[in-house]
Amino acid sequence: MKQTYNKIHIISFFLTLTLVGCASHDVTRVEDYNQFAIKAAQAGLWNEAIFRWKQAVTIDPDNAAAHNNLGVGYEALGKITEAVSAYQRATELDPDSKYYRINYRRCRLHIRRSGTDSEEILSESSEELMGN
Amino acid sequence: MQKKIKSLISQSYMRWIQFLKQHQLTCMLVIGLLTFCACGNKVTRVPIPIKVQSEIDIDTYSNFAVLPFVSEKSSTKLGELPVEIGSEIAAILRGRLARQKHFEVVNKQETARIMTGEVVEEGWLANTERLSELGRYFEVKGIIVGSYRFFTDTRPRRYYGERYSVRQQRYIMDYQDYMEKTYQLLLRVVIIDVDTEKIIWDEAYLQKTAEAHSIGSFVFSQMAPQETTLRELSRRAASEFTRDISPHYEQEDRFLIR
Repeated sequence: MKQTYNKIHIISFFLTLTLVGCASHDVTRVEDYNQFAIKAAQAGLWNEAIFRWKQAVTIDPDNAAAHNNLGVGYEALGKITEAVSAYQRATELDPDSKYYRINYRRCRLHIRRSGTDSEEILSESSEELMGN
Repeated sequence: MQKKIKSLISQSYMRWIQFLKQHQLTCMLVIGLLTFCACGNKVTRVPIPIKVQSEIDIDTYSNFAVLPFVSEKSSTKLGELPVEIGSEIAAILRGRLARQKHFEVVNKQETARIMTGEVVEEGWLANTERLSELGRYFEVKGIIVGSYRFFTDTRPRRYYGERYSVRQQRYIMDYQDYMEKTYQLLLRVVIIDVDTEKIIWDEAYLQKTAEAHSIGSFVFSQMAPQETTLRELSRRAASEFTRDISPHYEQEDRFLIR
């Protein structure tokens, strides 16, 4: 009986280790993608950066930083609708971060300045926000 | 066995406490440094291109005629500048606008042909009816006119620096007086809607450039021709105006989070 308990303990210990290992591996991958994407963005390779941030978001959909960075990437390429939704997601996930809010605010300001077509984007995004 | 483990744990705990008490300051510094490093690398600022729209409706106002600019009467340098400088400013502006894909500009020859026998005066700037009529001759949506004021402002300045004194065998504080001559061009640009006869754009662009003079060179500079400086300042003002009325990209910062 005692031996069975010991076996169960050992197995559960290894299982925990494996789970922790897998989880931390994912986190590292997300961080790696993010780091690489930031370097690409700094070099002006926005398509590459967006590809990496998309992968990061696929692995960890609740990663506010990845959503925010993805928004920056979209905005740099002029994909304003996608940028707004990415910024929104980031601010929803982490409402306390001032950087996400600054990015989102600047994007909205830019939309307002740029003209009438973008008013639709803003109204759509605010409706989405109200829905959430 | 259990007692042994407990005593070992308590011993190591006590040792840690003692160590922390002894190296309190060092520990705090290390923790502070680690926190600072972690915080410092968290945010990266990147510039992204932002498209800035034109300040006028470029779909409506896509073709222009540029009339020669007039010198303002209050300009102090009126007598020294040749009359054709107004036409040169217009030519510079025409060139800048023609480079933009959104605009079509009536060329210099065509403008000269239609304007034969007409002399643009300062009073024309307020006469939108007459300018609109001219615009209809040109078959354009908007007509660009304006005035310029070119003047200089000279002030004595003192430059403080260090020089090596041979007598005192060390560097000493010294100063030098000079004349700072600032050339200023105030270019007023007006766009008139030919159909509605209304002013849709009226902005003044101030451009400056300064040069340092001794008393001798200052006297010579007063006599020297100033058209080159005026042309350079006109180019800058024309660029600023063109930038305002055409869509362009600007850099704006965004924050990437690590």
